[in-house]
Amino acid sequence: MLDFALRLIATLLHVWLTFALAPLVMGVVTTLRAWVLGRRGPPVIQPYRDLYKLLRKSTLVPETASQLFSAWPLACLLSIAVAAMLVPGFCTGLLTAPLSDFITIMGLLALARAATMLGGLETGFGFGGAGAGREALFGVFAEGALLVVLLGFGLLAHGVSVDGIAVAFSTQHIGISVSLGFALAAMLAVALTETGRIPTDNPAGHLELSMVHEAMLLEYSGRNLLLLTYAAMLRLLLWMSLIGSIFLPFGMARATDILTWPGGLVLWLLKIAAMAVVLPLFEVSSAKMRVFRVPEFLGVAMLLGMLAAIFLFVAARIGA
Amino acid sequence: MFLGLPGQGMHLHLDALSLLFLGILLPQTVASAAAGMYRSGTFWAFVLGMGLTLAAADAFTLIFGFELMSAASWLLVLRGDQKPATLYVGVAIFSAACLIPAVFLHGGAVMFLLIVLGAGAKAGLAPLHFWLPRAHPAPPAGVSALMSGGMVKVALYVIIRYGFVVLGQQAQPWWGGVLVAAGAASVLIGALRAMLETELKTVLACSTVEHVGLIAVGLGIALRAKAMGDETTAGLGLQAALLCAVAHGLYKPLLFIGAGEVKHSVGTTSLNWLGGLVRAMPRLGLLMLAGAAGMAALPLGPGFAPEFLLWHAAIGAAGAGGIVARIGFTALLAVLGLGAALAIGAAVRMFGIGFLGRPRSLQAAAAEEGERGPLIGMALLAALCVPVALLPNLILDALSPVIRLLEPQAVLPPLAYAPLPLAVLAALVAVGAAFILYRYGVRGSREVPAWNGGFGKPPPWLPFGDPTTQPSATGFGEPIARAIGRGLLAPGGGDPAEVFLLTPLTRLHLRGVRLAERIRRATIRQRLAFIFMALVAFLLALGLGEGS
Repeated sequence: MLDFALRLIATLLHVWLTFALAPLVMGVVTTLRAWVLGRRGPPVIQPYRDLYKLLRKSTLVPETASQLFSAWPLACLLSIAVAAMLVPGFCTGLLTAPLSDFITIMGLLALARAATMLGGLETGFGFGGAGAGREALFGVFAEGALLVVLLGFGLLAHGVSVDGIAVAFSTQHIGISVSLGFALAAMLAVALTETGRIPTDNPAGHLELSMVHEAMLLEYSGRNLLLLTYAAMLRLLLWMSLIGSIFLPFGMARATDILTWPGGLVLWLLKIAAMAVVLPLFEVSSAKMRVFRVPEFLGVAMLLGMLAAIFLFVAARIGA
Repeated sequence: MFLGLPGQGMHLHLDALSLLFLGILLPQTVASAAAGMYRSGTFWAFVLGMGLTLAAADAFTLIFGFELMSAASWLLVLRGDQKPATLYVGVAIFSAACLIPAVFLHGGAVMFLLIVLGAGAKAGLAPLHFWLPRAHPAPPAGVSALMSGGMVKVALYVIIRYGFVVLGQQAQPWWGGVLVAAGAASVLIGALRAMLETELKTVLACSTVEHVGLIAVGLGIALRAKAMGDETTAGLGLQAALLCAVAHGLYKPLLFIGAGEVKHSVGTTSLNWLGGLVRAMPRLGLLMLAGAAGMAALPLGPGFAPEFLLWHAAIGAAGAGGIVARIGFTALLAVLGLGAALAIGAAVRMFGIGFLGRPRSLQAAAAEEGERGPLIGMALLAALCVPVALLPNLILDALSPVIRLLEPQAVLPPLAYAPLPLAVLAALVAVGAAFILYRYGVRGSREVPAWNGGFGKPPPWLPFGDPTTQPSATGFGEPIARAIGRGLLAPGGGDPAEVFLLTPLTRLHLRGVRLAERIRRATIRQRLAFIFMALVAFLLALGLGEGS
């Protein structure tokens, strides 16, 4: 009973922190990026102000849109939000842990992607359709790479739930293996593509022709745009939490042990902060690639994922 | 009995496997009949053939039902279009030529391979899938629905019946490997072509090739694991394959009947001439959206649980066995991932291009809601999709007698994907979002011309704007055609099986015909010369043989 209450409180805390901090993380990334580029940048709380502004703006619906126009942003936000609830943050053993199968999370992210693509096709104007076609292309390679990487985790952790992987990687002694390095590189490539960051897409771009994610949101305004923008922020934090709990699982708290919570919370915030620093540094040091270079970029990720699995097979064979 | 082999007659027997496939067949038959096929006698002969194959207790009845099904469906395809019917009857004769000798053999690998060739050609397993995207779209929608949802399942039933039950004791691990390889090729080619074709019914038929591939991969993994004694993976593979068959038997007929209604209402099913249909046909549009969610295997849709199980089975299969097989399963996972994302792209393209956006033709702009009968049939199938989507655990429990029949020792772990809690979480978020939006936000919305990156309003003589400024189905698939299609499809975008298997065969056939024709047209002198030469050669051979 006490365990259940503790897990419930931990889950609520996790959900509250994730939903509340997502805009802040986006703000930190944007501001740091501006600093590195030698500009002053907006204050870190600017995303909260943007969201509030969108809340008070009126919502416009294009004449050529169908009655499902407002359903796609909601579907996108709901699937991302559910996925964010499943990925463990500061502690393992949340109430949502039994649901946190990696394949379910992949499916929810794919659902969000499909909803965004349909939103892009909604009004039937060129930019949205072009963006959706490119997103479909990126999704094909991202999903293939992620599934192969998942095999490596499954072999190491004997299960593919994110919670189980986090527990296994933090308690077992796995050491620094080449396979995990390859898997990390592959996962980072997929994460950059999925969150629409440089080098695959430019979140600050203003040229419609080169947009991918933003092009699908062009016709949205007011509360619909609010939902889509907030979903993008949640998606960034979700991927950071996911990479953190798989590759940096040290110091994660246990939901049933309240004494480990403060340490877990501080470490989780530190991990997110570190990733929020590294991301803009990486972004300013690389250039956006052409659309048709992205399949090569993700193809390399897929090959790295396969190599990670093959190294594990060889290691099992020679008993290393 | 009047029918059947002399002195033996025909025998029927229903076990759990037959009942499962009859259960898959029933709702789509009702839906197709409601869609207007109940008047056709050939249609009922087709249904009778399928039922007879499923209920057969002896080999003769099975073949009789199978061929009745082939013949009746050929007549129905012929009603739609003559050219694919010829190809279809050719493939049907090939599959009969493989199946009839096979069922009278007494076990062994040859028998299994002949069964897979014969039934696989009927099911649309690569590389014998090339007829399916041509023949399935040809007949009326109700028949297409039953061919895609039912006939391929009957062919897969034959593979399951022989691979797991009749030959169950002799199974070798490589038998499963054959099925997995054919299935993986079908997944990739089917999903890729579904992403690139522009005809709505052809897109659906290509997606059927993909789903048949998924089922075959599940069966192959299970057969291999059964032969190797890995009971958990065998259970997972069978669960994946059978659940996929159940789900596909619901949403694919739904989509085909809907495509028929689109054809009826707009006059074409080419995605490049549709657009904006969900405004004019809201009920049909929503039903098609439900079907598309199943086809794309998205979570909370009917197609996700089988895919979830299949990926788990593939990960399990990659965890044991020889190193080459394990690397093969790693590649299989990459193929499954690519295929899943391509299926999402194909479903989004089908719905987004065909039903969202602006009309691309006057006929699409003037479309009217579908007729009552087909809509009722589709609604029935969509209603049956709900338990498959939200309570897959119950369906898997109902499937467990079938799995026990196929693999008595199979271990059936509970499903780790629980859609109901996910739906509850989503509902909580939705309530929270709605509260914030309605408490603090500005309510209502205003209809305005689309912003379209700042371009001006379309002129009054183009009420829906210039159709050419909107992304077409071809254009939407273009990035994927450029990045993947060039590597996997034959030059010019054709199906590799068609270009590398069917075309050479056709050429060989043509050459043989020309040779026969030349012999037939030979003059009397040429014939006499030929006989004389043959005589000389014969005598020479005889003389040389005697001399040595």
